[in-house]
Amino acid sequence: MIDIQNVSKSYEKIRAVHDVSLTLEDGQVFGLVGTNGAGKSTLLRLIAGILVPDQGQILVDGEPVYDNPAVRENIFFISDEPYFFPGSRAVDMKKWYKDLYPFFDTDRFDKLLKDFGLDPRRRIRTYSKGMRRQLAVICGICAGTRYLLCDETTDGLDPVMRQALKSLLGGDMEERGLTPVLASHNLRELEDICDHVGLLHQGGILLSQDIADMKLGLQKIQCVFTGEAPAELPGLEVVSHEARGRLHTYVVRSGREEAEAVFSQYSFVFYEILNLSLEEVFILETEAVGYDVKKFILG
Amino acid sequence: MGIIDMRDSRPIFEQISDWYRKLILQGVMAPDEKMPSVRNLAMELSTNPNTVQRAYADLEQKGFIYTVRGRGNFVCGGQDLVQQRKEEMVREIRVILDEGLSMGLDPRELALAALDTLQKSDGKGGQQ
Repeated sequence: MIDIQNVSKSYEKIRAVHDVSLTLEDGQVFGLVGTNGAGKSTLLRLIAGILVPDQGQILVDGEPVYDNPAVRENIFFISDEPYFFPGSRAVDMKKWYKDLYPFFDTDRFDKLLKDFGLDPRRRIRTYSKGMRRQLAVICGICAGTRYLLCDETTDGLDPVMRQALKSLLGGDMEERGLTPVLASHNLRELEDICDHVGLLHQGGILLSQDIADMKLGLQKIQCVFTGEAPAELPGLEVVSHEARGRLHTYVVRSGREEAEAVFSQYSFVFYEILNLSLEEVFILETEAVGYDVKKFILG
Repeated sequence: MGIIDMRDSRPIFEQISDWYRKLILQGVMAPDEKMPSVRNLAMELSTNPNTVQRAYADLEQKGFIYTVRGRGNFVCGGQDLVQQRKEEMVREIRVILDEGLSMGLDPRELALAALDTLQKSDGKGGQQ
């Protein structure tokens, strides 16, 4: 488990991360979403132990991560700008990471390079941008760490590679208990793979919730009443209500059964409970805390 | 594989669960046949194993599969389930009929549509 407690980090006058507290459970995919400059990379670097927090602390299974080799051998950070030594080849990087990470799986590394069609003896600088990203992912997967932090990793990968990456992550979660942490500016990118999503905005966490819980707690109902629409729905907290002609769309904060119970008291020409997309849930939840999220996470 | 459709608004676990429910009801998966392992299915679908796990829990709760500790998930015996699904379908058809009638659809037209379907499937025989 990664426990982030009241962590702040500034670069001179720029406040990158401000008083962030988060818990990342093992065995779950944690998605970190936020615009460019929201503090995602800084937070990941803090978790990886590359940066020291100005305030607060980050504990991995109860141990501080900074300057703690025993903890750091279980965390791998895939940067959004993968770095490789000048003039190095994939085989050189393999040697380097093998020394750093005691559980590095060299056989798997060789096999994945082959599967991905990357020549281990070619200079990495002659790789394309996408190939360098693939190599960074392979290094991360093979490092054998319990946590894998991916910073905008799917960016610059083609759709086939994205699927391949998700497939590798899924397999490793089940096989060796890997916990992936994925940062992205795009909520849609995270929706289908994450168990838990944290929304970072201007260095602070706006929201951190289980996706399933978020969706279970809100119901979207579309209906046309026979006769007049009721002025209010007794016993239901209405989050939003929109009427287009006779078609009413409600979003209420409740479980499905409760909502159905209340609505069953009315008579309808047409009535339907719809699934909310994660996007809609996010918009509603952040509006509730006073933000208009539409313009910064949907792209 | 056509299990997951990103444009489908149903949650992914539900899409996986529905897919296998259909296969089991149609008899494509036989009773006591082994379900794919969570790991393999997650990798094949490029999805989160927790999502697959949730789909399996859903199928188990609805009585379509059973779990043997340490060995995996298996398809339950089918007859009860098929019967159950048939009853469910009759209820669904009634709901659709009600809706059609309330919209002023001619009951004779509905009856003819039903007969037409029956005639077309005649000779092919029911699968169940």
